[in-house]
Amino acid sequence: MVPKRDVLLRISDLRIEGYSDEKWVEIVRGVDLTLHKGEVLGLIGESGAGKSTIGLAAMGFARDGCRISGGSIEFDGMELTTTPESDLRALRGSRIAYVAQSAAASFNPAHRIIDQHTEAPIQYRIQKRVEAQEDAMQLYERLRLPNPGEIGFRYPHQVSGGQLQRAMTAMAMACRPDLIIFDEPTTALDVTTQIEVLAAIRDIVDQFNTAAIYITHDLAVVAQMADTIKVLLKGEEVEEAPTEEMLDSPKEDYTKSLWAVRSFQRPQKHRPKEADAIPIVSVQGIDAAYGKTKVLDDVSFDIYPGMTVAVVGESGSGKSTTARCITGLLPPTKGQILFKGEPLPPRYQDRSKDQLRQAQMIYQMADTALNPKIRISEIIGRPAQFYGGLHGAKLKNRVDELLDLIELEPSKFYNRYPPELSGGQKQRVGIARALAADPSFIICDEVTSALDQLVAEGILKLLDRLQQEFNLAYMFITHDLATVRSIADEVVVMQRGKVVEQGPKDEMFTPPHHPYTDLLLSSVPEMDPNWLTTLLEERGTDAIGEAADV
Amino acid sequence: MSTFVIGYYALLIGASCLAAYFNKRNIFILVFSLTMISFITGIIGGAPALRFITTAAGMLALAAGTSYAFREFLIIITPEGVSKELRTAPLTAAFGMFVIFTYALAGVFAPVIAPFGEAEVISSAFAPPDETMLLGADQLGRDMFSRIIYGARNSVGLALLATMLAFIMGALAGLLAATKGGWFDQFAGRLADVIMSVPSLIFALLMLSIFGTNLAVIVIVVAVIYSPRVFRLTRAVAGNVVVMDYIEAAKLRGEGTWYLIRREILPNSTAPLIAEFGLEFCFVFLLIAGLSFLGLGIQPPTADWGSMVRENATLISFGEMTPLIPAAAIALLTVAVNFVVDWMLFRSSGLKEV
Repeated sequence: MVPKRDVLLRISDLRIEGYSDEKWVEIVRGVDLTLHKGEVLGLIGESGAGKSTIGLAAMGFARDGCRISGGSIEFDGMELTTTPESDLRALRGSRIAYVAQSAAASFNPAHRIIDQHTEAPIQYRIQKRVEAQEDAMQLYERLRLPNPGEIGFRYPHQVSGGQLQRAMTAMAMACRPDLIIFDEPTTALDVTTQIEVLAAIRDIVDQFNTAAIYITHDLAVVAQMADTIKVLLKGEEVEEAPTEEMLDSPKEDYTKSLWAVRSFQRPQKHRPKEADAIPIVSVQGIDAAYGKTKVLDDVSFDIYPGMTVAVVGESGSGKSTTARCITGLLPPTKGQILFKGEPLPPRYQDRSKDQLRQAQMIYQMADTALNPKIRISEIIGRPAQFYGGLHGAKLKNRVDELLDLIELEPSKFYNRYPPELSGGQKQRVGIARALAADPSFIICDEVTSALDQLVAEGILKLLDRLQQEFNLAYMFITHDLATVRSIADEVVVMQRGKVVEQGPKDEMFTPPHHPYTDLLLSSVPEMDPNWLTTLLEERGTDAIGEAADV
Repeated sequence: MSTFVIGYYALLIGASCLAAYFNKRNIFILVFSLTMISFITGIIGGAPALRFITTAAGMLALAAGTSYAFREFLIIITPEGVSKELRTAPLTAAFGMFVIFTYALAGVFAPVIAPFGEAEVISSAFAPPDETMLLGADQLGRDMFSRIIYGARNSVGLALLATMLAFIMGALAGLLAATKGGWFDQFAGRLADVIMSVPSLIFALLMLSIFGTNLAVIVIVVAVIYSPRVFRLTRAVAGNVVVMDYIEAAKLRGEGTWYLIRREILPNSTAPLIAEFGLEFCFVFLLIAGLSFLGLGIQPPTADWGSMVRENATLISFGEMTPLIPAAAIALLTVAVNFVVDWMLFRSSGLKEV
């Protein structure tokens, strides 16, 4: 465990207020935190728990519209709440560094990576430009970036997401800070890419004996990284304990519920035995292309009524493109799609109202999938009105019925607008809109990936219940294998626009696998704190850098 | 030293002492700096300068008071949703709304308010103001005040009509271009480029010389000149909306273009469009006033602020301020509309969310 070392950061009774609806609301309510030199602390909690706010406060920074209203932040003997802004600025970047969630959004696209890397050391007069560049290249090598001597001279859009996230970690290291704050650095990455970034971050933190605060909502990830884990809920601490203790025997109920969240699993269904059973959707050998870039290559699979087919793969593997082909937004260049045995017109404009009605879609981002200026009653009511021709009292009854189905109280939500709803509630409204059309087939495009784990579980349970009630067929697009494990009947694994393996779930999760399926499966972080170490040993250290290129 | 000067300083110093006593820092700084400035201006300009400051401060206070009262009045008479928005309006916006309200009253009830007809000759040319003629007479002996009132109806009404027409054409084309894309987008875009490439005043002069100067032609020509700006804005705003998933969902539902535009896209683009409406209205108003000044706009004897400035321009050389009155009317309306628009822009830009 962590030996007694000097205290680097001590936060006590930290209170931060945010300005909303014309008054100050406390969003962090008295959090204490102690971080020793070289220690890694994991902050975990749902969105809105105040994780990022605390992370930024550790740099003496409050976002626009927030203010530190009480408590103290002591960094290496310096009280940050009373330090003037100019001194804080000297501290940031040189002694405390920050790695943001989206490296793609945090790098300036107009400058080369290495120029952004060397900016801080040159500014703080720690190194001359040439030295700083050499140092950067060494760091790139340590983080196992390909071509460390050359990669820095590219622009951010010329390298992949995982590489960019590692370059950002290297940049945070540029001045050899005492403390780095990692704010969900791997959340936006695929599981296979996530591993290399995790391994790289862990290595470099070890090598330079840097202290770190690791913010995430993914327990399995934090288990790999942190010495100590602190669980937050609504701006307050729930509990804090060393990693292994926390994983083995959580004390509080809330922590236990977080741990148990992935336990939902429904019985697997199998295809109808009869030979003449017609799949509800049959994708037959489709190719598709955006302009001249071919993105789908001979994709075929069947979805039978009442079953859930999970389509998995990394981003860019063609999962969503397949969905666009089925909905008719992107006509395939070859092959055809049968709906209940009948060929579907390739373009949605050519499909009949009934064909459109039967296949519905639920989107990943409920924020952009619901029109913010239309009331919930109309969002849900419109498909019923459009397809079913319902009006007046009948329409209202139907909307009430649908709101009941998605477990939202009709009287409370009927007249609301989407921005007034929480993420999970919005996703439920998205589901109700799909249901309102009375479909037989629903495409769920990453419906849970933007949600917190507890909320996501609720959505999965709801989808499962609706499937049983209405005998719906789902095409479930996801990159999260835990979701697949809990809800799928059959699995289709895609890579670079091709189906590499497909079959019933139980077969897919038992070896032997296709090498790519194996890579995907083994890359899903597990709760075991030694998982990453073991995995890296198995794969051999050199394999990590190439993992994404398999 | 007159009693006025003594009273003046006593009041200021008393007010600043009170502010200091009650710890109203901002008010104290304001009042006390006014006191200091008054010392200097008092020494240089004497009592008249102080009188001027008093009048200006009084006018400002009156305007602020009117705006405040008008805003409270609006909050009370409007329904829940609107009044909540109105509470966020700064005093400048309230002032703007009050001025626009006054102009609208003058325009609508012009025949009731104006003591004389707009073309009625009642006195000798350039007669000075008296009891019957508040602002004196113009170059033909018509009542200036009556003509200003009628001008509100003609100039503002015409500008409003032209702006609305420009908006209907531009917004519709912009929404269609964003939704449909393809050849229509290209065609409308290039057409807008062509219109915008010709300087607006020259283009208007050319068109009016060709088609003659009746009201319908003025409205249409001005609308055509200003619709490309609206088109561009609408297309840009709607372009950001059409890529949203909810539009895709509506398309996949099989909704027609008209439903998409009306129910899905338009509600999400109204805020910048309303703000743009205010700005365009000012430009259109100034263009029409400019055209009238050049003699190609609204034709005599119809009262119009632009032509009134031109007709009375000679008086400037005699130190008379008569031609400045219609000019001030134009300026005041432009400022007022901009105050309101600033507030709306601020709201729609999302800056309010700190």
